[in-house]
Order: sequence, then structure tokens, then C-alpha cells
Amino acid sequence: MSETKYNQEMAFFVDMQRCIGCHACEMACAECETNGQESMIHVNYVDRAVSTQTTVQVCMHCEDPTCANVCPADAIHQDDFGVVHSADTSRCIGCSNCVLACPFGVPKKMEEAELMMKCNMCYDRTSAGKKPMCATVCPSQALYYGTKEEIEKMRPDSVPVNSFLFGKQEVNTKVNIMMPKGTHQLIIE
Amino acid sequence: MYRLFKTLNRVAFIKALIASFAVIALVLVGSRNLQNFDAALFAYLVGTIFAVFGIAYRYSVWLQRPSTKLYWKRSMQFLFSKMFIPYMLRSLKLFFKNILAQRFIAHRSRTRWIGHFLMATGCLLAFAITIPLTFGWINFELKPGDDLTYYTMVFGFETFSFKLGSMMAFVTFHGLVWCSILVTIGAAIMMKRRLTNGGLIATQTFADDWLPLILLIAISLTGLGISYDYTFLGGRTYQFMAVIHAIVVILFLVWLPFGKFFHIFQRVAQLGANLYKTEGARRGMAVCPHTKEEFATQTHIDDLKLVTEKLGFDYSKQDGSNHMNLSPEGKRSALAKAHFEVRKKSGKFFG
Amino acid sequence: MAKLPVSVDKIIEEFGPHKAYPPQGGFYGTNEPDKLVKTHCCYCGMQCGIQLKVKDNKIAGFEPWMEFPFNEGRLCPKGVQRYMQNNHPDRLLSPIQRVEGKGFEPIGWDQAMDKTVSEIKRIQKTYGNDAFAMLSGVSLTNEKSYMIGKFARVALKTANLDYNGRLCMVSAGGGNKKAFGLDRSSNSWADLKHAEVIIVAGANISETFPTLTHYIWQARDNGAKLIVVDPRMIPLARTADLHLPIRPGGDSALFGAMLKILVDNDWLDHDFIDNHTSGFAETIEAVKDYDLEWAEEQTGISKELILEAATMWGKAKTSFLLHARGIEHHTKGVENVLSCINLVLATGRIGKPYCGYGTITGQGNGQGGREHGHKCDQLPGNRDITNPEHRKYISEVWGIDEKDMPGKGLTAYEQIEAIHRGEIKGLISICFNPLVSLPNNNFVREALDKLEFYVCIDTFLCETARHADIVMAGSLHEEEEGTVTTAEGRVVKINEAITPPHNARRDGEIIMEIADRLGAGDKFNFATSEDIFNELRVASKGGTADYYGITYQRVEENMGVFWPCPSLDHPGTPRLWEDRNFETPDGKAHFNPVKYRPASEVTDKEFPVVLTTGRVVSQYLSGTSTRRIGKLVDQYPEPLLEIHPKLALQYGIENRDLVKVKTRRGEAYFPAHVVETIREDTVFIPYHWGGKSSANQLTIGNLDPISKIPEFKVCACQLFPTTEKGSKERTDTAYQSWL
Repeated sequence: MSETKYNQEMAFFVDMQRCIGCHACEMACAECETNGQESMIHVNYVDRAVSTQTTVQVCMHCEDPTCANVCPADAIHQDDFGVVHSADTSRCIGCSNCVLACPFGVPKKMEEAELMMKCNMCYDRTSAGKKPMCATVCPSQALYYGTKEEIEKMRPDSVPVNSFLFGKQEVNTKVNIMMPKGTHQLIIE
Repeated sequence: MYRLFKTLNRVAFIKALIASFAVIALVLVGSRNLQNFDAALFAYLVGTIFAVFGIAYRYSVWLQRPSTKLYWKRSMQFLFSKMFIPYMLRSLKLFFKNILAQRFIAHRSRTRWIGHFLMATGCLLAFAITIPLTFGWINFELKPGDDLTYYTMVFGFETFSFKLGSMMAFVTFHGLVWCSILVTIGAAIMMKRRLTNGGLIATQTFADDWLPLILLIAISLTGLGISYDYTFLGGRTYQFMAVIHAIVVILFLVWLPFGKFFHIFQRVAQLGANLYKTEGARRGMAVCPHTKEEFATQTHIDDLKLVTEKLGFDYSKQDGSNHMNLSPEGKRSALAKAHFEVRKKSGKFFG
Repeated sequence: MAKLPVSVDKIIEEFGPHKAYPPQGGFYGTNEPDKLVKTHCCYCGMQCGIQLKVKDNKIAGFEPWMEFPFNEGRLCPKGVQRYMQNNHPDRLLSPIQRVEGKGFEPIGWDQAMDKTVSEIKRIQKTYGNDAFAMLSGVSLTNEKSYMIGKFARVALKTANLDYNGRLCMVSAGGGNKKAFGLDRSSNSWADLKHAEVIIVAGANISETFPTLTHYIWQARDNGAKLIVVDPRMIPLARTADLHLPIRPGGDSALFGAMLKILVDNDWLDHDFIDNHTSGFAETIEAVKDYDLEWAEEQTGISKELILEAATMWGKAKTSFLLHARGIEHHTKGVENVLSCINLVLATGRIGKPYCGYGTITGQGNGQGGREHGHKCDQLPGNRDITNPEHRKYISEVWGIDEKDMPGKGLTAYEQIEAIHRGEIKGLISICFNPLVSLPNNNFVREALDKLEFYVCIDTFLCETARHADIVMAGSLHEEEEGTVTTAEGRVVKINEAITPPHNARRDGEIIMEIADRLGAGDKFNFATSEDIFNELRVASKGGTADYYGITYQRVEENMGVFWPCPSLDHPGTPRLWEDRNFETPDGKAHFNPVKYRPASEVTDKEFPVVLTTGRVVSQYLSGTSTRRIGKLVDQYPEPLLEIHPKLALQYGIENRDLVKVKTRRGEAYFPAHVVETIREDTVFIPYHWGGKSSANQLTIGNLDPISKIPEFKVCACQLFPTTEKGSKERTDTAYQSWL
């Protein structure tokens, strides 16, 4: 409908070791107009009893999204930019298949509304040429939105990786994770 | 969804044909061999048969998808079990609450529910009126000697009657007018949302979001046009009004299986999903090995493993466990821990 | 007369705290605001730039301000939720008056003013001018801070004005004045970027100044080593190169021992020490016995870690040392600060690119608010109220006779003690909630109940205001124009986004009207905030905190100007001491000998556990506004007792068990949070809550002899496990401060 200003040069980079668990992203996510005061990003302690380590998870926008594949209602749509959108409200039947199948633990089921919602990379902002809310406010820049050149310049010893291995399953994503130089894949054992 | 139509699906095609012929048979039977069929509605009938064919075809294709198929199978299995009575009652309750009244939408937004409810109620009532008329299942007759009493014939049997000019007559003959008003108000509410809500503006498309609303309003307004014509203009523009209305309605019918309106038929699956969760919980919950908390039904996790396998995903691990055994929070933590280890091994968390 | 007029639950019912949430889909007009107002977050010394959305004279939301150079759009959760303090159902919309048995009833401004002024006059006539005291706060703008300093001395004519900065950074201020002759962070944060080693001592940056994290992480991307000194593994410490888990109270022992290592290894800048400093010999003499064994014993940090930290610091070419309340909230706060400064001076790494030192001011205007006469011993421009020349200059600016200028008054906690003793009878307060933020608050409550008259200016009925006779409905940060000075010394502009709602008034107008009614109207003839600032510029001229060259226009054009800025053509001073001309009388930086001494209350057999307090990321200070913002409350709803599993095991305490914590001042119950991220001999409780959940029922009111800061960060406690678990009811009501 509206003319899109989505900039394909821009990419999303995550480095959860920089995360300080402040929840600014979570508060800001709720301000994104596509989700009406619901927050789509996840921040949680990994194991608070032993560490203050937190992790932050946005939708990784998989190239072949498991969530869309398991959706019985064809409610999850991937657009031409590779953005995997939140469930189509008219189709979603609230079955939670996507919630349980996503290897990154991203989609959220709004129980009362019988609706799955997930991060759509702040489509209202990114399609208007702005940065997503979470990456804009993130005070530790564990979430960064910019060009590949910018991040390579800023973090010379790290490299963006967008391939993951969960057991036997390789998953490639639009969103990158920052890893030590020389890494090509994050293996989750 | 269009990719589904790239190649013809034989099973679906046959089912769709059966459904179409079933409709024709019902028309023949219900109209007493076309005795009560209104020939003026023939074009509508053709449109309806096409719509039935399309819907049946798409529905059948849809049910063949691994996840849908499994859901369907399980829903039937769980419904027709020894728990039939409580589950049937539960499903009926939810049918009224969430399908007819669409209460779940109110939890997304109140105005949205009001808009949708008006539209949906208008549409469903209109279907309930027009389909029997088109199929010749219902017609109105005058009896010789009394040209003031209308008799309502259903499947050719006489049912109730009412006086011309009575309140009952006014309400009955204007049934579609009331539907049109409901739909128009509802669609206007939904349009206003689409014009003012920043999130919707960013994500909406013309074909999926605006066209359905425009079509509904067009049907309603042209339908009201016919009423306006015979009430105030003495039928002078009847021909024009009727043709225009027929064109939009048939467009709507033809588009029904393809576009957004297909969700009307998909929505019922919500009842299945609910049943699936209820019976699953009865059978036992899955506990996340990381958070040590229940997070889903074990049936669901087991079924999803089957479904993903059919879809070509394999999240099983070397040690025999499966990434899908983890809750969403567990998965996020697993990722963070793996990332932490790689960073730690490299000797540098930063740079 | 200041006992609660009705039960606390009735007051809470009417005035909150209640949690406010944005409506589903956001406030009306958030899609299409009338305007975006560039201003700043009000919730810490970083003063992050932010744009507020305004619709129909109401705040509808926010939009990040990408161009503001410090934060470039970045915010913490408080910053994101900052807009929620507006449109709040608890907001005071008119003056209210205490009515015995009924609570508080709305009254007109005239009535509120009449009553206030007649009580001030009565008390001052009966007991003397100083019997009416004033307490203020540094979340106020520079303009208000300055005007309050003038108001207390010129209109109220009392010596007893002090402020909540007394609980904040006064130890740093005292130390900086002794060492450098000037109280400001020596560098802008930009100098962190290429520092080789960064020491963060007693500063939970990741929770109290989250947006500063980016600067630390950037430095680490560029290869910096990070050393964190903190009793807890704070998020910043988790990946740090070195985490020194210090026992609370051991700071000056650690820094003394590190200084000795620098000296022993000759990791010193002799040229700098010889030419630009004084007092080096006495200073190293003081630490000559501080070997590693001794340091390990005093600090609870292993020898190896101390040596490694000193080695990193000693060998670096560039460095930055940051500290905050963790080392300042002590009866030896100034000494702790000086022991840090000694490390900086010994290596000569100051006044050069990427060589820096500074305290991180906690409050919104903690920097600017402590420079212009807000303190009991201070006049504008960071002048000294006991210095005859300073008194003369300011008296001229104010147009009063120097003889009428009151002398040095009591500090904040001393005022409370004086109230308790019956020496102070009347109090006016603004922007200060001592009942939550002062230590030993059962004592504070007793004191408040002894006041003959207490008037409070605030936007919400804070816990302290519940004890007031009159509460005047003031203005929020976004309702009055002004400037603030950020923790790095950058003067920035606060813009008025909306006007105060209903019958609430701007703080400035309230102060001016009281001044007028006290007969000093001619001295408070300001039409705009800019008029006040222009007088402040003149008043600060020639002082160490010289703002003379800073104008509203320059601030707006440059997105901030760093003081000192003595003339209109001066560019401002992001980095101090490049010219090596220190502001001390001899022009040199001063080493100060620091002999370690223990905290005022140490653990013993009876009270065997160290108790320390601090903040959480979702709350700000005493929580007057942040405990009213639903999402912030929900993030961390009630104070938990952080305790190490080994200590917990010793007492048979399990996670979420309710634990009675008792000190010599009081006792309170907190659910246990059993975590390995704290020292085994120390427990931690955050302090933002009032009533039964207040950690400050337990803390100690002993003061640093120089800065008069209370010792919030260390006291001795007992732990008693109970058989109860923390309950949902406790969690759900903690923010409201039930007694």
C-alpha cells in the first residue's frame, strides 16, 4: 500500500554478550506501532542463580522459516525483503505450532487474543527508513542496526554470522549474530 | 498460497467436483425440481457453485499440509473419544463465543471487535438469507382469493405467513437492508483503523486488506440502491441497480476462495486447536529441561517433531535429544550459552 | 503537627502510588503528535537526549533523538518509560492541605500561600530564622537550583538549606575540590573510547547509567581492559577482564595497596608528579605498609587479583578511572575518592586525550545542581559561603547587604537530627523524599512528626509529603524550561513540552510567589527561565564553575556546552587540565595521604553479616515517579535480599524464603534471592522502596566528616530465616510503601 523506504543495505546484528539485561529494548519494542504496546523481544536471565548473564532475542528472520512451515493456517508470510511477518490476524488460529517449533524461541502466543505475535523488525519503522526501536535504544548496542561496513569498522575482531546448527538442522537467517573472527556458524549442542 | 494452484491437486479437484455436484443436487431437491427456483437469480447460482468448488478445492489442499492434516486428524480423534460429550459442549460454547461472536478479537482491540462483529454478523445473516433464496429453497407465495397474506414456502412446504404491510413483512423483506447497514458500519470502522493506525498502515496491502472492505461496502451500497430504487424511485432504475449489484456480488463469490475471505472457513480450525490443547493437557505436559517448568503439552511437542520431519527439518541431536524439547526460553538460553562459550574460547568478549 | 492525618492505606488509595500503563495501542495522538519536543530524560546524570511527542498539551509518547551526541537515540528502560510520568492519575492537580482525620483536601493557591507564609513568619519570629529549614533536590534544573539557593538566603533568610545531593556525590565533590580545586568529572565520556585500561569502582553502570555502557563497550572493542571493583558480579563485571569482588568498606585499602605497587615498580610519571603535583611524599608514606597480604585481608580480594589490577593500571599508556556511590557512600567517602585520585595523579594520566578520571553523578542534575548555591556551605559558581570575597560578590549580584547573607548551615541529615532535637521547627522541601532516601528512616519519621509546620512542593504525594501540612502541586521536568548539567559537565537544554495540568504550577513560579509574599519580590523578578539563567551566568562568573559564556542560544546550537566557559567566545571545556593549571591555590594537583580505616560499623559476633544497598535498573532514587510507572514496577516489583548460596546454606535460607534482616536501627523482611553473584559475607538490598520494604530502615546515619554523606553502603546486620515464602501480596504492594 504505502511506498516502502525499506533499505536493504541495512542489517541487524546481535551480540548477546554485550547485553546488560536492562530491558530497554523490551520497553521500546512495545512502542512499535505494529504491536500496539505488546513487546515482542525477549530478554531473560540464562541462569540467574549463578550468573547475571542475560540474553536478548529478536526474530532472526530465517531464510526458510520453520514457523511459517509448521503454520497450519498459512498465517506467516515472508516478504520480498526477507522479513518474516507477524501472524496474519485473520488467519492465525492460535495453535502455537510456531511458538514451539521456532528454534530461537521467538514467537509469542497471546492467549486471550488467540493470536501469535512476533517481531517483524519494526516494519513500521524500517519500511519508513528508520531503525527498529530495540536497536535504536539498546544502551549496550547488543542490538545494532546498520550496514555491514559500519559494524565491521566498529568491531574489527568480530564477524557477523548468520548460520546456526541446532542438532542436525542448519538454519540460515537474515539477522546476524556477532562472533569471533574466523567463525562461520554457531553450533548449539 | 498461489503456488498451491500451480499444479492441479487431484484429490482436491475430485472433492471440489463432488461438493459442486452436491450443491446442484441440493438445488434440484430443495426447489422441487426447479419449480420454486427464481430464474432471475441464475447468475448468482452459477457464482455460488463456482465459489463452492473453489472453497472445497482450497480447503482440501489446505488439509493436506502436514501440520493441518495432523491437527485435523487429532481434532477428530480427540472429539470422537470417550470425552465426546464434554468436548462437544466445550466446542459448541467456543463456537458461539469465538466463531459467531468473535470475542477473541476484543482482546486484540475493542473497536476492532465491534467493527469485525458488525461486518461478520451482517455477512452471515446475508448468507443465511440469500443462499436459500438463490437455491430455491425458500420462496413466498400468495394464495388465490387473499392477496394480502404472504406464505413462506421452505423446500416447497408451507411454513409461516404474514400480512402485507405488517411489521413482520417490513422486517422480512428488508432483511438484506439491515445486513447492508451492519456491514457498512463495520467496514467503515475497519477502514478508519486502516487509515489511522500506524502499524496497520505499514503492513497492509491493497489486495489483502483494502479490497475485501471495498467489496463488502460495494455489495452493501448497491444492494441498498435496489431498495432505494423500489421504495423511492418506483423501480425506474431497477435494471441498472440490479445489474450493478449482481456484478459485485458475483465478483465477491468468485474471489471468495482465493482472498482474505477464505479465513471465514479456516477460522473453525480454532476450535480444533483448542480441543487439541485441552486433551493434550489431560494427557500430560512437557517440562523444559532448562527452565524445569511445564511449557506445552507433550502431545504437541511429539506431534511437532513428526510434522517438522515431514517438512524436512531435523532438530534432533547427536545425544538422541531434540532441540524442540526445550521451551522457548530454554532455546534462547541454549543459544546464549553456546555463544558465550565461543566468545570465551576465543579469549575476547569484545571487538 | 506532621503525623499522618489518616491511615496510610487511605492516603495510598487517594494519592498512590498507583501503577500507570499506556493504553493498548498507545496514547491518543502518538501516531500524529502536534509536535516533537527535544529535551532530556530526567532519570540520571547521563541526561540522554529524547524527543517527547505532544498532543493537545499532553505527552503522548516519545521518539528517539538520534542526533544528540551523547546517546544518539540510546535509552535505558527508565528513559523509554519516562513519558509515562505524565498523564498520571496520581498527579497532584492543586495545592492540598492536611485535615486531621480526613486526609488531604484541595485548597486554593492563595490559601496555601497565606498559610505557608504566615507559618514561616510565626516560626522564624518565635524561634529565629534558622529554625525554618529548606531541603531541595538536584533533579531540578540549574535555574531552579540557583533560585532556591537565593530564595533560602534572601527570602527565607535561613542558613539551613541543603539538598539531596548530600546523599549522592558530595564525597566526590569534596575529594575533587581537595585534589583539583574544582568539582567536575575531568573529561567528557568521549575520552573513554581509546583508554587502554578502565577502572570502574563502585559504579553499577549497567543498571544506574545504562547508556554509559556503550562507551565502555566501545573502548573494549578498541582493546581496552576493563577492571570492575564491586562486591557483586554486576552485569558490567560478568565479562570484565578483572572483577575485584571487594568487601564493602575496603576501597581505600585496595587503592592504597595499588598505589604502593605502582611506587614499588616505578610505574610513575615523575615529570608530572614533580612539576604539577604536591603532597606525593606524604601520600606514599601513608601506604608504605600496605602490602598485598594486608590488602587481601582488608579488602577480601585475592592478592593475585590486586596485583594484576595494579599491573594493568601501572603499565597502561592511557586510562580512565570512574567511580560512583559505591565508594562514596561511606564515612570515609572523601578518603576513598582521594585514594582513587592518587592512582590517577601517580601515573600522570589526566588532561590528555583518552586519559581521564571522574565520578558519575547519579541524579538528573547532580552536576549542575551542586554548583550554584544549593548546598548549605555554598554560593553560585561553586563559591564558599564562608569566604568573605565570595560573599561580597554574590551579595552584590543579589543586591543585598553582605551582613544579611546567612552563614553555613546544616547538611541534610544534620537538619533531620536538628529537627529531632527540636531546634528546627519548620521545613519547606522540594524534590526530595528523605523518608525513603535517608538512612535510618524510622528516626527520620520521628523527626518529621516533630515539625510544627511542613510544606512540600512536589508533583506526586511522595512518602515524605504524606507528613506535610501543605503540599503545593509543582511541575514535572517537561513542564518548565531550563538547563541541566550532565555528569560529564555538559550544560544541556530542558525544553518545556507542555504546561502543568489543571491547577498545578511551575516550581519556579511557586518559589517566586513565596519569595514575593515574604517581601523579597524585587529580588525575584524573573519573567522567564532564561532571565534566571542569565543572572546565574553573572553569579557564577569568576567562580570555578564558570557559566558566564554559556547562553541558551549556544547550548541549543551546539547541543550542549561544557563548563568552565568564562566568556562568550570560549568554546567550553570538555577535557579539563590540558594546561596543567589546576584550580588549587598553588595551581598544582594535590596528592592526599589516605590512611585506611574501617567503616563506622563493622561486623561482629552479634551482627555478623555485611549489609550493602544500591539501585536496580528499573527504578530511580526514592521512586516517587518510577514507582508509579507500571512497566518499571513490574520489571523489579519488590526489593530482594541478594545472598550467596553458601551464606544462605549457613542460615538454612532457600530462594524466595522471607528473611528478617535486623540491624541496630531496625528490622525488615525481604524475600531471599540466592545467587552466586555476590560475596559470601555480604548481602545486598536495593533502596528505592518506602515503608515496610525500605532498606533504609536498616542503614546507618553516620556521616563522612568532610562531605557529611551517610554510610549507606556498609553496616552490620543479622539474618533470621522465617518459615514463610515471599508472597504475591507482598510483591504486588511493595511499590506503594505500606507501613
